[in-house]
Amino acid sequence: MIEFSQEAKRRYNAIVSHYPEKRAALIPVLHLAQREFGWISQEVADYVGELMDYPPSDVLSVATFYTLLHKKPAGKYHMEVCRNVSCWLMGAYRCVDEIKSLLRIDVGGMTEDGRFSLNLTECLGSCGTAPAMQVGDRYYENLTPQSLAEIIEKLKND
Amino acid sequence: MPKLTINDREIEARDGAMIIQAAAEAGIEIPHYCYHQDLPVDGNCRMCLVEVEKMPKLTPACATSVSEGMVVNTHNERVKEAVRGVLEFLLVNHPVDCPVCDQAGECRLQDYYMVYGLHTSEIPLEMKVRKRKVIDLGPMVVLDTERCVLCSRCIRFCDHVTGTGELQFFGRGDHVEIGTFEDRPILNPYSGNVVDICPVGALTSRDFRFKCRVWFLHSTDSVCAGCSTGCNARIDHRDGAIFRMIPRRNPDVNKSWLCDEGRLSIHEIGRGERVRRALIKGRDGMQAPASLGEALDAANTGLREAARKYGGAAILGVGSASATNEALFLLARYVKGQLGGDQLEFRLDSEDRKALEPEDKILRRFDKHPNSMGALALGFAGDEIGGIEGAISKAREGKIKAAVILYYKPLVTRETDALAEARIAELVSLLEFSVLFAAHKADWQTDAGVLLPVAAWTEEEGTYTNYQSRVQAALQAINPPGDAQPAWSLLAALLEASGDTSVWSSSTDVLSDMKQAVSAFAGIDLDSVYSQGALISTNGAL
Amino acid sequence: MTKVLLSNIDRPEQVKLETYRASGGYRGLEKALKLDQAAVIEEVKASGLRGRGGAGFPTGMKWGFVPRNSPKPTYLLCNADESEPGTFKDRLLMERDPHLLIEGMAIACYALNCHLSYIYLRGEYEFIAHILQKALDEAYEAKILGPSLMGRDFALDIFLHLGEGAYICGEETALIESLEGYRGYPRLKPPFPAVSGFLASPTVVNNVETLCAVPWIIQNGAAAYASMGTEKSKGTKLFSVSGHVNKPGVYEVEMGYPLLDFIKNESGGIPNGRKLKAVIPGGSSVPVLTAQECESVVLDYESLAKAGSMLGSGGVIVFDETTKMPEVLSVIADFYAHESCGQCTPCREGTGWAAKILRNIVAGKGKRSDLELLLKIANMMEGKTICPLADADVMPIRSFVNKFRNEFEDFCNGH
Repeated sequence: MIEFSQEAKRRYNAIVSHYPEKRAALIPVLHLAQREFGWISQEVADYVGELMDYPPSDVLSVATFYTLLHKKPAGKYHMEVCRNVSCWLMGAYRCVDEIKSLLRIDVGGMTEDGRFSLNLTECLGSCGTAPAMQVGDRYYENLTPQSLAEIIEKLKND
Repeated sequence: MPKLTINDREIEARDGAMIIQAAAEAGIEIPHYCYHQDLPVDGNCRMCLVEVEKMPKLTPACATSVSEGMVVNTHNERVKEAVRGVLEFLLVNHPVDCPVCDQAGECRLQDYYMVYGLHTSEIPLEMKVRKRKVIDLGPMVVLDTERCVLCSRCIRFCDHVTGTGELQFFGRGDHVEIGTFEDRPILNPYSGNVVDICPVGALTSRDFRFKCRVWFLHSTDSVCAGCSTGCNARIDHRDGAIFRMIPRRNPDVNKSWLCDEGRLSIHEIGRGERVRRALIKGRDGMQAPASLGEALDAANTGLREAARKYGGAAILGVGSASATNEALFLLARYVKGQLGGDQLEFRLDSEDRKALEPEDKILRRFDKHPNSMGALALGFAGDEIGGIEGAISKAREGKIKAAVILYYKPLVTRETDALAEARIAELVSLLEFSVLFAAHKADWQTDAGVLLPVAAWTEEEGTYTNYQSRVQAALQAINPPGDAQPAWSLLAALLEASGDTSVWSSSTDVLSDMKQAVSAFAGIDLDSVYSQGALISTNGAL
Repeated sequence: MTKVLLSNIDRPEQVKLETYRASGGYRGLEKALKLDQAAVIEEVKASGLRGRGGAGFPTGMKWGFVPRNSPKPTYLLCNADESEPGTFKDRLLMERDPHLLIEGMAIACYALNCHLSYIYLRGEYEFIAHILQKALDEAYEAKILGPSLMGRDFALDIFLHLGEGAYICGEETALIESLEGYRGYPRLKPPFPAVSGFLASPTVVNNVETLCAVPWIIQNGAAAYASMGTEKSKGTKLFSVSGHVNKPGVYEVEMGYPLLDFIKNESGGIPNGRKLKAVIPGGSSVPVLTAQECESVVLDYESLAKAGSMLGSGGVIVFDETTKMPEVLSVIADFYAHESCGQCTPCREGTGWAAKILRNIVAGKGKRSDLELLLKIANMMEGKTICPLADADVMPIRSFVNKFRNEFEDFCNGH
């Protein structure tokens, strides 16, 4: 059985206190759960459901609607490269190819050490600084194959 | 009561009605998938789009309430084109596997395609979204997500009717699927309803799956006999075999639902050996087969002899909460009128109390008999006897010597059934002479003086009075086995044999007489009995 | 030119309360608190401010729809779910001048008699959440927010709420549904949020840029704001420019600025001396304009509507002559297929189907008849759904295929 850490439990109570109705806290709580457990497995959905008193099917249904909630394990550095118009115009796929060859993974894949995973994503709001990618709560913008190599090198040693 | 025009016809609608309801009440059908009259409106399928004057866009008829002077068009070219488009979209990713789909013949995709579609598919097979098929969702339901039109009726049922929330949407866009958490079975006691309300072949009945093409089935209106709620139902049968029972809408009783136990109760009739022929106990104490005529004679003779020997007070009429009103009425008439008896009883297990007690907040009631209220209204709860226990002690004391007994085993079973049956068995064993009407065989029946084979529920026409004191008709779907006949008909023969001059050629005849003879039934309207049911007067006693 | 929104955007440490106050911050709120609530609404009405999220609905009128004396609480929700492809203006405001948003929200809350408000921030902008949260904490600490709004007898809590990745949650009823903890399915209207929105209470949903304009309007007066721009499109507007331009970025200009001048003067023109081919003027959901159509267009609601497009969110995407338009459309169509919530049949099936056809065409496997099919699908989707996402797919499909038909046919040649 999985369980929130003491710190996460405190955070959970704080989140719930922000809303007039508990249900409204569900998505932020799923965010917290992902931070705590890495991704929203069925076990996590079950746990959150139990914690908040909703059927696990309901919780998982909500989770599967939102792309930032992972439905499978993601790497420590989950790289989401924007594929939308402006990034595409400015060479997003060249960046994707660069990542693929640097890390030897495909889109949707993860390195064997679990450090990196790669995905395409929709518009990040970085159209003016395209191409861009999101890694966790960081944006990397104006990407070039060169800058990507440096970023990955840095993250590898992080 | 706003007046509006639909397709150039002026109609009057209920306040707050949606266009789709107002149209339906005026006999105008608007195609739809997600709308269901007993579920909250969702508006997702977009099949019911109609044109309303002064509204720039087509609007969903399920989610637009009527207003005074509204002008609606449900079938002009603009609307038809929209509906055709929605239908084409619904079929884009549909597997079109009708030849192996149980829904074929009662599928809204098929039906509407014939009316609105008739287009040629423009999507190559390899472009279709593939989804999961044949997922086992428990004792009642099999899921095929590829056939699903994502109308959310089943989800809304589990959210709003049962409140159990098992079924949900997962994913987004054209990859959305319905399902349960980890494919867990749907175990709520009403799960079968999701199959009924599924407008396509996504949710099919595990019980009925691959048993018969629906177009070979004949349908008979009935009332579920599984408990005192008396849910309106339809029996689908073929060649004397029942294939399924599905709900018939009655907003005042069961809306559009049935519980799973009731739904499956059709199989209970076929369980155990049936009484196919009459039996008469000879001087040697052994029962021997007899014709119905012989058995009825023996029954009448035996009972009259007991009545003469011990007086009417020693004769007991034991009704059954599973018998029809008609059978109970004639039983009372026979015992009182012909045998001079005045003692009637039917309670084996506090049915009079349980009949009103809900087992949950939806439909089910603790009393697993369809007609306890009818038995009460027809005077079968004798104060003097006080239930089967009282009858047993009186028999033991020698105060009751003979009885006419109707006994049907319950179609929805509970642990206490064996005890109830043991009590009847005990009573029969204590009597000098008994006439037993039974549908299913049991060892203890060898104690009966005469055993008469009766039709079970679905094998006879008759009425039941539900917990609301609503008299509802169940029609005959199939024939009873062997020599079995409806109990009312056998009782009519007994009455005739003993000199009653009335002639009843159908259960309706009996009901008409009952209306005359029993004040509680005096006010019922016979047509209503056969549609939404008719409330009997309970004189404030209930 | 007067800047309403970006005047302090480059000021160092503008994110800090101290700096913000030094630049005149929270004076709009102070002034508003001296006015009647109704007077604040009137001022916003008079300014002609229209919703900057994309729909362009008059803000003051939206506020006016909220029933007075409702027994239920009123909620103000700030729509910071900026996800329209080509749009990154709200991000700039929140990253660089978070107190401006907080001040705008506080004024709106006061006017609407709202005591609990949320910023619905798209989850991808988590890095901005840190900035916003810091600013909120400062505002609480300085007793601007909290039990008494700037010392007044008016409690106001503002919380930050992170989305988790769904474009559709930028649609106001989907936003509400998502904020309540559900899948972001747009709701049937009526009821409208002003009557029954968040938790079935009266709710106003306003875009970040809209709210950020409010402090200036209150401080400088509706007339000053209304004096800028055109007759029906008042004030200034942020435009996010991206694609083939030398200086992509966010620019604030008065409404009515000629589009081509804007591209040339503000965003530095097109690189490498190439020629302009097309512009998407208001985010990917609006019809594309050819270079020729751009010539007569000025940046306001009416001019763009007249040209057959829309101002939308002000996301200007510029395409030079080398751009393959079918490929652009395929990228856009994939986006809508990915973001369709899946609720309404036409959108769920239509966006996915159109995207597949376009992928086929771009891969050189398309047929000329596919173009007719695309247009048919567009017709089958348009105006048939609960929310405008399907229409947002129809606009680019129809405009790209019709305006650049020869390019599409070239892709389909040989089939």
